Amino acid sequence: MKNVLIGGIGNVLLGDDGVGPYVARLLAAHYEFDDGVEVADLGTPALDLIDQLSEKDAVILIDSINTDADAGAVVVYRKADIMRHHPAVRMDPHSPALVDALLSAELFGVAPADVLLVGIQLGTCEVSCSLSEPVKASLEKAIAEVMNELDRLSVGYRWREQPAENDIWLDHVGVEHNNTEREAQSPT
Amino acid sequence: MAKRITIDPITRIEGHLRIDVEVDNYAVSNTWASCTMWRGIENILRDRDPRDAWLFTQRFCGVCTTVHAMASVRAVEDALKLEVPLNAQYIRNLILIAHALHDHIVHFYQLSALDWVDILQIPKADPAATAKLAESLSPWTRNSRNEFKAAQDRVNAVASSGQLGIFMNGYWGHPAMRLSPEVNLLAFSHYVQALEYQRKALQVVGILGGKTPHIQNLTVGGVANAIDLDSTSALGMAGLEMIRVLLDEVVQFINQVYFVDVCALAAMYPEWFKIGKGVTNYLAVPDLPLDSQGKAYDLPGGTIMNGNIAGAHPFKTASDKDFREAVSEDVAHAYYQNGKPLHPWVGETEPAFTGWDGEQKYSWVKAPRFNGQPMQVGPLAQVLVGYAQGHPLTRKYTDLAIGKIGAVGGIRVTPDMLHSTLGRHAARAIRASMLAELAQKHLQLLTDNIAKGDYTVHNQPVFSGHEVEGVGTHEAPRGTLSHWIVIKDEKIKNYQAVVPSTWNASPRDRSGAHGPYEASLLHTPLARPEEPLEVLRTVHSFDPCMACACHTFDPSGRQIAKVKVL
Repeated sequence: MKNVLIGGIGNVLLGDDGVGPYVARLLAAHYEFDDGVEVADLGTPALDLIDQLSEKDAVILIDSINTDADAGAVVVYRKADIMRHHPAVRMDPHSPALVDALLSAELFGVAPADVLLVGIQLGTCEVSCSLSEPVKASLEKAIAEVMNELDRLSVGYRWREQPAENDIWLDHVGVEHNNTEREAQSPT
Repeated sequence: MAKRITIDPITRIEGHLRIDVEVDNYAVSNTWASCTMWRGIENILRDRDPRDAWLFTQRFCGVCTTVHAMASVRAVEDALKLEVPLNAQYIRNLILIAHALHDHIVHFYQLSALDWVDILQIPKADPAATAKLAESLSPWTRNSRNEFKAAQDRVNAVASSGQLGIFMNGYWGHPAMRLSPEVNLLAFSHYVQALEYQRKALQVVGILGGKTPHIQNLTVGGVANAIDLDSTSALGMAGLEMIRVLLDEVVQFINQVYFVDVCALAAMYPEWFKIGKGVTNYLAVPDLPLDSQGKAYDLPGGTIMNGNIAGAHPFKTASDKDFREAVSEDVAHAYYQNGKPLHPWVGETEPAFTGWDGEQKYSWVKAPRFNGQPMQVGPLAQVLVGYAQGHPLTRKYTDLAIGKIGAVGGIRVTPDMLHSTLGRHAARAIRASMLAELAQKHLQLLTDNIAKGDYTVHNQPVFSGHEVEGVGTHEAPRGTLSHWIVIKDEKIKNYQAVVPSTWNASPRDRSGAHGPYEASLLHTPLARPEEPLEVLRTVHSFDPCMACACHTFDPSGRQIAKVKVL
């Protein structure tokens, strides 16, 4: 049994920044996974991420990214891509996020061997509980990247005929959310 | 000629703390604390069901999720005059304590210890001598030569790899670093061990709250935990026993490691009892209710003005009239449309961004004031307010800390010295030991109450047709948190959160009075202004928590923060 964390990172109150938790919730609602797989909406954990990453065989994170790409672009990063970066000067407990958490976990000897970050280029970060259209359109692609990684790790998953209960934020997305569910119904 | 130094995390889009200081002749002569992003997240709550509010507020901040959930349900309960059953109070108190213990351990070891500990000195340390020193300080069983050797090996491995990794950004070898190699190794070893204990504290939150980081067991009027002594899925004897075992380990770490390390650090940097004083008005609210109506508390609250500990004014309840009527927010130097200071119930959030101008507006943080005065909040306020009232538990651990620092350092320590950067660290450790003791007490209270046959966890909220106002407070790890709600027709009409870091990071107000961060930095000596380690030490001593916002990963590889010297 592999211990795998599938974690969505981001703030669900800030528009597209909530895409990570959104994807995590879609996955949890629509799939069953092998034992040892944890699907979590991690919110914006910063240093607490060290705890979440610790002692996992593999970690798949879904997060918004800020690049020059078009909104909705899906880009994946491996551990080495992430750890090339400088850690932050620590002003407050939020400043050090993913890079620092991974570097700390390495130092403590508890870092996962495999890390994949599925990044989704955000469009807007205005205060809102819903995603912009380009980001919504990329959900399927992001989910496919997660599933590809699970395949690569030889971790099993099964589509649920009856989706499990979703969450308050998804409920507020209403009709659009139903479309998303249908889009997500063709797992690769 | 004064130099201007700006410490500003630049590349992330989320809001962050920015500190500007003017340095004249190697000392800080002027300061500005600002937040770089507009939040206004409260606006998302308008017109929603007050019973749902806590699910949203716990998303304000990814680090302080639990505290915003708790303040929110308390605000609605205050507005509805709703009692909370004993079991629910104890379960909530245990969650709040476990969260705070986690937070304090993380703050000291992960965020601020390396301001004082020089990693580059560690390879020079003798693990056997370190073990001997450690044994003289604490009975902690993991203070062994082997543990220290293993910790030293970790640092050596990082150093020899040529990749400094997590240590890339430290001010190593800075003249303000003065610990011996052995003390550096001792502290570093505990920094590694802390990871295990902070996780155990979080596990307690998870068992009671259903999940972390976002707990699921709250509800307006109580908690949603089913209590069944024989069940393994509901909260029963098995769950309570698991919590007891976890807490025992965390409590031991707090008392034998964290508390001792802070005392030892203070003894070795005594000059920092004279630095970082700042605003000596203190505010704390009572917390950890002991009855269903919120009339008795395990932690006292009140105010101290102008450092006059003897003249402290106590609050009777967590929503005391003297508190709820005294709070206002001033926007004279914040990026909002000018107006007179407003009470949170009638608070407005109309942005008017004008760009950073130290003479005019320079922060997205409003300036909360208490009867017009800036207040320092946080563990130091909590401890001084309790000490002033002769609160036995506060006295016990404060006296213990003062005695320990004095004994290790061979110096005379008095409560007045706590108005300082080191005082904030010492107070946090004192508070942690107090909370550790209270964790065990509240677990016992819960167990005993259940054993009596009381399984009640929830009272049903009842809405009236009238417009009602409420305030929910919590004395969070970073200080006084208050959520202010106005309810009309079962919907939220207005919602404002006045968070601890807003009190502490506040900009100047209309009278020009500095906020606590700003005031605490004045006169700080800087050995190397281009490496402002001393500024970080004082800012970190408050445990700032500003962003509560976007967390986007920036893959460009640009440096995440900058220190700019003009």
